Amino acid sequence: MLQKAEVPLLWACLQAVLVVALGFTDMDPGPGVGVSTQPNGDRFKIEGRAIVPGIKTQDWVSAARVLVEGEEYVGFLRTDGSFAVNDVPSGSYVVEIISPNYRFEPVRVDITSKGKMRARLVNYIKTSEVIRQPYPLQIRATGPHSYFMKRETWGWTDFLMNPMVMMMVLPLLIIVLLPKVVNTNDPEMRKEMEQSMNMLNPNPELPDVSELMTKLFSGSKGSSKAGSSSKGTRPAAKRR
Amino acid sequence: MAKLILLCLDLIIFCITVNAVFEDQIGKFDWRQQYVGKVRFSHFDSHAQSSKKVLLATENNVFAALNTRTGELFWRHVDKTGPDGSIDALLHHAQDAVQVVGNGRLLRSWEINVGGLNWEIVLDSGSFQAACLVGQQDITKHVAILKKSVISLHYLSNGHQKWIENLPESETVDYQAIYSGGNGEVYALGVVPHSHIAVVAYSLEDGEIIKQISVEAPWLSNIQASCVVIGQGMLMCVDSPTVSLYMLDLHVQSQMTQIPLQSLGLEIASGFRPILVSTQPNPARQPLSEFFLQLGPEHYLLLQLNNGQIVTLRDFKPAILVAFATSGEKTVAAVMSPKNKTACSLNLFSAETGRRLLDTTLTFNMAPNGGKPEKLYVQAYLKKDDSVGYRVMVQTEDHTLTFIQQPGRVMWIREEALSDVVTMEMVDLPLTGTQAELEGEFGKKADGLMSMVLKRLSSQLILLQAWITHLWKLFYDARKPRSQVKNEVTIENLSRDEFNLQKMMVMVTASGKLFGIDSKTGSILWRHYLDNIPSNAAFKLMVQRTTAHFPHPPQCTLLIKDKDTGLATLHVFNPIFGKTSQVTSPALPQPILQSLMLPLMDQDYAKVLLLVDDQYKVSAFPSTKNVLQQLQEMASSIFFYLVDSSQGRLSGYRLRTDLSTELIWEVVIPTEIQKIVSVKGKRPNEHVHSQGRVMGDRSVLYKYLNPNLLAVVTESTDMHQERSFVGILLIDGVTGRVIHEAVQRRAKGPVHVVHSENWVVYEYWSTKSRRNEFSVIELYEGMELYNSTVFSSLDRPHAPQVLQQSYIFPSSISTMEATLTEKGITSRHLLIGLPSGGILSMPKMFLDPRRPEIVSEQSREENLIPYAPELPIRTEWFINYNQTVSRVRGIYTAPSGLESTCLVVAYGLDIYQTRVYPSKQFDVLKDDYDYMLISSVLLALFFATMISKRLAEVKLLNRAWR
Repeated sequence: MLQKAEVPLLWACLQAVLVVALGFTDMDPGPGVGVSTQPNGDRFKIEGRAIVPGIKTQDWVSAARVLVEGEEYVGFLRTDGSFAVNDVPSGSYVVEIISPNYRFEPVRVDITSKGKMRARLVNYIKTSEVIRQPYPLQIRATGPHSYFMKRETWGWTDFLMNPMVMMMVLPLLIIVLLPKVVNTNDPEMRKEMEQSMNMLNPNPELPDVSELMTKLFSGSKGSSKAGSSSKGTRPAAKRR
Repeated sequence: MAKLILLCLDLIIFCITVNAVFEDQIGKFDWRQQYVGKVRFSHFDSHAQSSKKVLLATENNVFAALNTRTGELFWRHVDKTGPDGSIDALLHHAQDAVQVVGNGRLLRSWEINVGGLNWEIVLDSGSFQAACLVGQQDITKHVAILKKSVISLHYLSNGHQKWIENLPESETVDYQAIYSGGNGEVYALGVVPHSHIAVVAYSLEDGEIIKQISVEAPWLSNIQASCVVIGQGMLMCVDSPTVSLYMLDLHVQSQMTQIPLQSLGLEIASGFRPILVSTQPNPARQPLSEFFLQLGPEHYLLLQLNNGQIVTLRDFKPAILVAFATSGEKTVAAVMSPKNKTACSLNLFSAETGRRLLDTTLTFNMAPNGGKPEKLYVQAYLKKDDSVGYRVMVQTEDHTLTFIQQPGRVMWIREEALSDVVTMEMVDLPLTGTQAELEGEFGKKADGLMSMVLKRLSSQLILLQAWITHLWKLFYDARKPRSQVKNEVTIENLSRDEFNLQKMMVMVTASGKLFGIDSKTGSILWRHYLDNIPSNAAFKLMVQRTTAHFPHPPQCTLLIKDKDTGLATLHVFNPIFGKTSQVTSPALPQPILQSLMLPLMDQDYAKVLLLVDDQYKVSAFPSTKNVLQQLQEMASSIFFYLVDSSQGRLSGYRLRTDLSTELIWEVVIPTEIQKIVSVKGKRPNEHVHSQGRVMGDRSVLYKYLNPNLLAVVTESTDMHQERSFVGILLIDGVTGRVIHEAVQRRAKGPVHVVHSENWVVYEYWSTKSRRNEFSVIELYEGMELYNSTVFSSLDRPHAPQVLQQSYIFPSSISTMEATLTEKGITSRHLLIGLPSGGILSMPKMFLDPRRPEIVSEQSREENLIPYAPELPIRTEWFINYNQTVSRVRGIYTAPSGLESTCLVVAYGLDIYQTRVYPSKQFDVLKDDYDYMLISSVLLALFFATMISKRLAEVKLLNRAWR
């Protein structure tokens, strides 16, 4: 039989048991023992309070319940959010507050055969690990349940802000708009540009993409004068 | 090639891990109905004139407040099941409702407006007898609780005990009733059967015994059943053997006065035990001196105690039910009397005079195939002109609550029988008439070419006509405003939809009422009450003929078995209309051990049901010649198994041709050590699409798909937490061969099992670590398939490979089921009902014994999730979001016409219906499919091409000119 859940935890459990034995000596080793040895033993009460921050208690208490160890013991919430689960024998129990709309963390409550109580965090893997919680229980809702998935909505902003689209659109804008903004007919400006182009272009053998584009676009704009002039001067610049 | 296809399929399936509901899907295809159960106590909230609440305490340990206008729940509190949570008494005073719970263990007070608890206290042990509110000088401040040996008084405001006193001579006297008339005294009434009545009066202030009377009453055995207190503290009892009323003044020690009924001119119906009904409208005042005396099943009398004399105010015959109701200072009596076979009439009478009040007649129509009225709850109110108006809530035998307003308008109906669904089936809806016509053509015998052609043409014409009328209707409806177009589902216009998503849910309830519910809307289409059901009946519902065999009507068979005697009856009905079928069901004189549906069909396409009786003789239903002949041919391949859990015996039988049986195998599980808890086979309508799983190295691991495999779960009889264990045994149901055996040490039940395909998943409680654990067993044939065409239990020489893995589950569970789809291509999910009311849809890939501890290249390629000891519970996996299902007892899954979609019904106290898509909707366009985007992009592209074409033309022209 493969019981993988157990194997890696064995050592941790052993250690934890030792720790527990040292730290909490008046506790039964296995709280269930208390039940089986004295079936008519005393009954105890688990008390606490549940809080949903920012919500009036009357709006949620009627739909909430306190479940102790599944549905073995059931408690109800008072109108102020406090609760008491009566008639619980000694043992170790997971106490949960169940509400269809708000999420509460479960708490483990240990009751000794003498009626001593303590609360600790639930840890199903290291079952004997003790991280103390306040008792009487103070259980605060950690927020509403998130039952739903978000729909993937499609908006223009999402599309435009996509990095791929940005990478495509921005250079395009520069290529189209730059020749318009900068007057390419001004000879001084042209010279300056050519110089900067050459500095940018490390390999003069490669055809310059931006150059090609400018050629293409300025060519299509009918003003063949500018196009032809650039055609004329470019090779000269390259040859230099 | 096969491997490749397998791989592709697996890839499709494994891509999907997330599965949740979208917020805009709320209520689109899911619905929930909340129930409370059979009503035990009911009070109308009358302290405010406009109040719309009725408080209900039920036999299912539920306490709820309903809206009297709509029948919906304001709030509901579900206590634990069993005697620990049973509601013994419900008292109502102003804003508070006081409850005694768990045989007098707890006393609770509820705030009825909010639905929250005011206080809860633990009472001393002792079995509960009676409780009443105690008032003084028109103010009610206390509640008195009478137990076997003590009486205690508690404050209503905080539950604190004011005093507790031992009852004198409680060993001999059986104290049964408690009474307070608002004069500062509390009376405990006890009886020594057939000897005397003991009356003890306590002071309200300090619990001191003021008086103690003992009165001879040799005829009396039970106070609660035969006595009431009326007027100024007069104990009125009725005794049938002496045919007399007995009267006792509680304030003075005296003899009981006997009033023979004959002196009043009355007679008791033979064999009937007369009953008294009184009313005490205000606990701080005396009860009224008027009371009802029931002398026969349909005979009531309104009597009045006037100066020690009993006066008959009115004789009601026939009358089925009576009830008192009070509004303000006026008390009225409502009387229900039969009108005709299907209706009853209600009338209101003044309690003081017995005079009939004008214009108070109300008609209650009894549903056909329903139960008789059982209880009457009356809400009286004062109208503006100071006359009394009323509404009634009628409870019938089938646990139905009907709320009626004058003059007979039904405000709402609640079918509380549905709080206790035992079993259910989903049946496909029939085709529409025209479709069926077309289908029917193929079923008929051929009679010549010409006539066939003509028939085909005519049916095609009919189809065309239907299509045109449909189009016309669409066009006509489109012109009307939307609100006028109603799409109400009635039994007449039921028809199957395109993808078979809408089905008929046939539900069987413990009370013996059957329901047919439309799965799309949740509306009840038919109901049928079977009134001769034993209280401890076990039910098994089987679909013998589906709707696919037009013109034969569909047929369901319900096997009702008395658990004590084993005697069974069959109820055969049409699942679409709920009508009892004309087919005569066989008489079953012997106790039935086992029933099985065979895939065989008779000439009318009804599947054959075999019933095995305690003599191991088999009878078939239907048992026509055709069937018997088929059975004889098939007998050698029909096997069945029997489980006797009391003796721990599993035995396999084979059918002989003469319909007797022979034992072929037997497995005995020693009952001293362990007991059989459950035996699970596979579902017969389950399909498995892929024969194996593709490994990371492209080899195929073939599944062990034995359709005859049984999973037997055992629990140890030793419940000590060190020695208890849970065992699982996989047995071939034909040969009795034990395929695998596993034991979970230091574990105990309840064990929940799901058995499907080649895997078994079970859940148990680990006593060692105090947590719930899941374990999964998967069976594989290995890298080669022994016989790939057909599986035979008799010819499988190799034992399968068994893989097992266990996980921690961070919650206890209530029930578990696996999803089911049409072809079994879609990946499987486990549907887990949790005590919190959520239904978790957990992908099966989380419960895969091949989850590796160390991730390798191959396991990644196989899409195996690395092993983690704890299974996650994500709230996104709750298929019912905040629509919790209380006390979920069963989950039913059914395939739909779409491979991706599985229909789910969870039932318990509530009923919830939804659809799940374990691999998302791969065969349907998504709900949020953006038609706008697609069409706008297409349009934009179209225009862009047009413009660029034009531009290119211009450019070419320019170039040519150059």
